[in-house]
Amino acid sequence: MKKWQQRIGNWLSQQLDLPTDVILELPRITTIGQIHAYVENHKGLISFSDEELRLKLKQGQLLIKGKGFVLRMMLPEEILLEGTIHEVTFIDQNG
Amino acid sequence: MKITQGVFFTGYTTLRIEGKFPEFFLNRCVENGISVWNVKKIDEFTCEANVRLEDVPVLKKLRSQLDYKIRFRKRHGLPFLLRSLLKRRSLVAGFVLGMIAIFLLSNMVWGIKIEGVTPEVEYKIKENLKDYGIKRGAWKFTIETPGQMQQKLLADVPELLWIGVTEKGTTYHLEGVEKTIVTEPEEGGPQSLYARKKGIIVDMYVEKGEPAVELNDYVESGDLLVSGAIGREEEPTLVHAEGEVIAETWYKSEVVVPLNVQYEVITGEKETHYGVQLGGVRVPLWGFKEPEFKRMHEEEYNKPFYLFKWELPIKFSSKEISEAELYKESRTDEEALQIGVKQAEMELKQKIPQNSKIITQKVLHRQKENGKVKLILYFKVHEDISKPQPITQGD
Repeated sequence: MKKWQQRIGNWLSQQLDLPTDVILELPRITTIGQIHAYVENHKGLISFSDEELRLKLKQGQLLIKGKGFVLRMMLPEEILLEGTIHEVTFIDQNG
Repeated sequence: MKITQGVFFTGYTTLRIEGKFPEFFLNRCVENGISVWNVKKIDEFTCEANVRLEDVPVLKKLRSQLDYKIRFRKRHGLPFLLRSLLKRRSLVAGFVLGMIAIFLLSNMVWGIKIEGVTPEVEYKIKENLKDYGIKRGAWKFTIETPGQMQQKLLADVPELLWIGVTEKGTTYHLEGVEKTIVTEPEEGGPQSLYARKKGIIVDMYVEKGEPAVELNDYVESGDLLVSGAIGREEEPTLVHAEGEVIAETWYKSEVVVPLNVQYEVITGEKETHYGVQLGGVRVPLWGFKEPEFKRMHEEEYNKPFYLFKWELPIKFSSKEISEAELYKESRTDEEALQIGVKQAEMELKQKIPQNSKIITQKVLHRQKENGKVKLILYFKVHEDISKPQPITQGD
């Protein structure tokens, strides 16, 4: 069922030229160099420290590692992270 | 960074969250619509974050539901600043008093400088100014404008030929020019007297010079009356001819007198209302009730307030409401005639020399049309028609 839904969504976004993040509820991550990371469409904060940020996604998690992290802004589905970013990893729940 | 916009004015606090998984508490905050920013992790069980002052009640509710320790660590923003200012009441009071003092002092007259006149006249001007209420310490908004001052001074100090009043902040600069009374030279140069206008000579009084006309002579304008050249014709002695030559002259004037007139007369009953003009709105301070006058005449004066040298948009306004009465008068033809004659005589007297006499007056023409009487009058006047003219010596 879920696979089917995703396929419809994929097709829709391609045909109607809609941004994929809106249709598929996927996160949109914008980084500005190493200093800022702006994450939209996340599903909640799992853990946060000055070296690590873990966010819940619709499927799996997002892990951002670095140092000197501060959450500049926190809104229901948006987060602005400041610090020095070293890596951004997607963690699949199944894997 | 939209959420942090304007937080200085609404106020915000820094809080410290202690407990297991402080992130969870933050999640719950965000879900409940609380904006959180500048989140820092201190250690595993502590977090620091900023929230808006208006979100604090929601936060406290959440705190009671969840097992976290929340401490408010720092308060920022205008509301807290104001609160701490209010605690120092004497400071605020001093500031307000200072502002009031500056405002009051900016609206006072601090100095009057008079230039260009002798000490006696200066003293006179000062005395007069005192009478008008212009002295050190007077309120600027209660006294007249420089223009009015100028006119009053000119009328009250006869020694003044001209006076300029300028207002510079809290000082008034007065610059005067005194009349210099020139004593005419006793003996002028040689001159003759000529006729200023046509007439018949009725009287002559010649002090010096040779009369060129006789009584009952008809003279035209420009005719020689008294010659300054006396003695033999070949070698005349030139003198300063002086004297009066009275002649009968004629004037024709036209006047129109309306038969029905309406005019307003102020009875003397008056009320003065004071107020403050704020921009375009008048806020009354004294005198709220409109006087019960049937007819009235209003006059409004506005004087601006000052802060240092700047004019404030606030003005002190005084409104004088005087009772007026309407007079209606209708005249008969005969009355209109008399008024017309009087009016024409007045006008004529302004035109002719002061010691002239109006001998007779005659109505040449009288016409009534459109409720008006039109008169053409004829006057006979005895006046001095002599006009001096220097004799140029042709060498």
